[in-house]
Amino acid sequence: MIDIFTVVVPHVLMAIAIWRLIHNDDLDFDPILPGSADALARLKRGFSARRGDKSREGKPPRA
Amino acid sequence: MLNLFLTAFVTAFLAAGVRRPFLFVLAYAYIDIVAPQKVSWGFLSSIPVSLIAFVCAVTAWAAAEDKNGIRFSPRQFILLLLLIYCGLTTRTADFPDEALEKWAWVWKALVFAIFLPLTLRTRLRIEAFALFMVLSVGVIIIGGGIKTLAGGGGYGELKLLVNDNTGLYEGSIISTVAVCAMPLALWLAKHGTIFKPGWLVWLFAMGICLSCLLMPVGTQARTGLICVAVLGVMMLRSVKRPLTYIAVIAALGLVSMPLLPQSFTDRMSTIGNHQSDQSASTRVAVWKWTIEFAKTHPFGGGFAAYIQNHVSYDTYKAEKAGDNNTALQTVRIEEKSRAYHSSYFEMLGEQGYPGLAMWLLLHIMGVVHMELIRRRYAKNPPPELAWVTPLADALQQAQIVYLVGGAFVGIAFQPFCYMLVGLQCGLSAYIGRVKRAVPKPFRAPRAPAAAARSEAAASA
Repeated sequence: MIDIFTVVVPHVLMAIAIWRLIHNDDLDFDPILPGSADALARLKRGFSARRGDKSREGKPPRA
Repeated sequence: MLNLFLTAFVTAFLAAGVRRPFLFVLAYAYIDIVAPQKVSWGFLSSIPVSLIAFVCAVTAWAAAEDKNGIRFSPRQFILLLLLIYCGLTTRTADFPDEALEKWAWVWKALVFAIFLPLTLRTRLRIEAFALFMVLSVGVIIIGGGIKTLAGGGGYGELKLLVNDNTGLYEGSIISTVAVCAMPLALWLAKHGTIFKPGWLVWLFAMGICLSCLLMPVGTQARTGLICVAVLGVMMLRSVKRPLTYIAVIAALGLVSMPLLPQSFTDRMSTIGNHQSDQSASTRVAVWKWTIEFAKTHPFGGGFAAYIQNHVSYDTYKAEKAGDNNTALQTVRIEEKSRAYHSSYFEMLGEQGYPGLAMWLLLHIMGVVHMELIRRRYAKNPPPELAWVTPLADALQQAQIVYLVGGAFVGIAFQPFCYMLVGLQCGLSAYIGRVKRAVPKPFRAPRAPAAAARSEAAASA
């Protein structure tokens, strides 16, 4: 029982931490370091541009 | 069930690394500390899970990570030199097979310590790594603490998660490492962003700290008690009200003293008198042997060189002989192949004077670097860097505890301690990037007196 408790509690906390880290952009881009904010913005622009391209696949180009 | 749980967790952890490559680094640290392959008995124990995490971490970093502004610090060079030197001594070791066995995990610990600072590019990564170190140690010590409270402790009797007297599951080693983890746990409770400070976080941190303090009691490792005392003294520097701190510590000590088991107080009372205790006498005899060995082998005997030692010494026992008389009995003890029981002598015996010098330089530089960082941001730090001084403080405390504990336990190559070194190098590198990021003015600002003079001259 004690062994199960000692395994489960820290593992649940680690699982929560992993979940939060996956969804936190600060993991890869530090907000106080120069270049990080630019890099993140570039990356986000790249993602949205790619998503925009995909959504317009097979459609005529915009005028 | 436990087997399935751990397998699912490790698989999910590695899968999460595909989304965020840094998670592979955390996965490796977790696997190295907890050793889930030892805890479980199925799939995990049949695959080299630690090596898989290590390869994933390095490959993902090489392929997908931003490497702008990366610099190799002097301490990483020392680690690299130590790695090469250990490789060379392994080739010429006195016991090649046993040396290769130790080299198989030492090289990984050293390479990871060199690699880790390259990945710790952001504040969140530094925090995440510290968090996973503490939680991973928590996997071992929470159960140990509860069992100690329930009366299940005793010298060589405390059953941790794995009934295996190796690595972190050895009594003296886990006692030292647990005390090293305490300052980090307190820093996370105060400055954490993944789990923001709150009563629940503080409750868990206090639970972890209590478990850390109970490990020396449960394992009855004298080293642990010395580490607790050292940490207690060092924390005087970081607390806001030292007198209140001393009063609280004294009160807690007085309250807990009667609750300690008799076997613990008996064992701790032998700290000052090694001649009556066989375990302590063996250490002293092995240390003397190592000094003599280093005279003829200045470059060390390679890993596991202790196998060739043969020591003999006298122990003294005092027995009541009636009518206020005491009979002193001398017992001659002879022992072979006894471990060093000290990181300093482990380095001296295995790696000789050059290895010991590199190892000492690595740690002394760590203490000095942390002190410099600590002082730099101690007064009026910018709010976004308010966490730096307390972290440098915590890392310095952990390292000094390790260095003191290491005097009585052979943990010179313990991977957890190299993670601490890697974390320190990562913090130093991060601070270096922050310093370089501050724009430097083209001309130095003028002194106020000179500015006032020139203004007066202009108005005249």
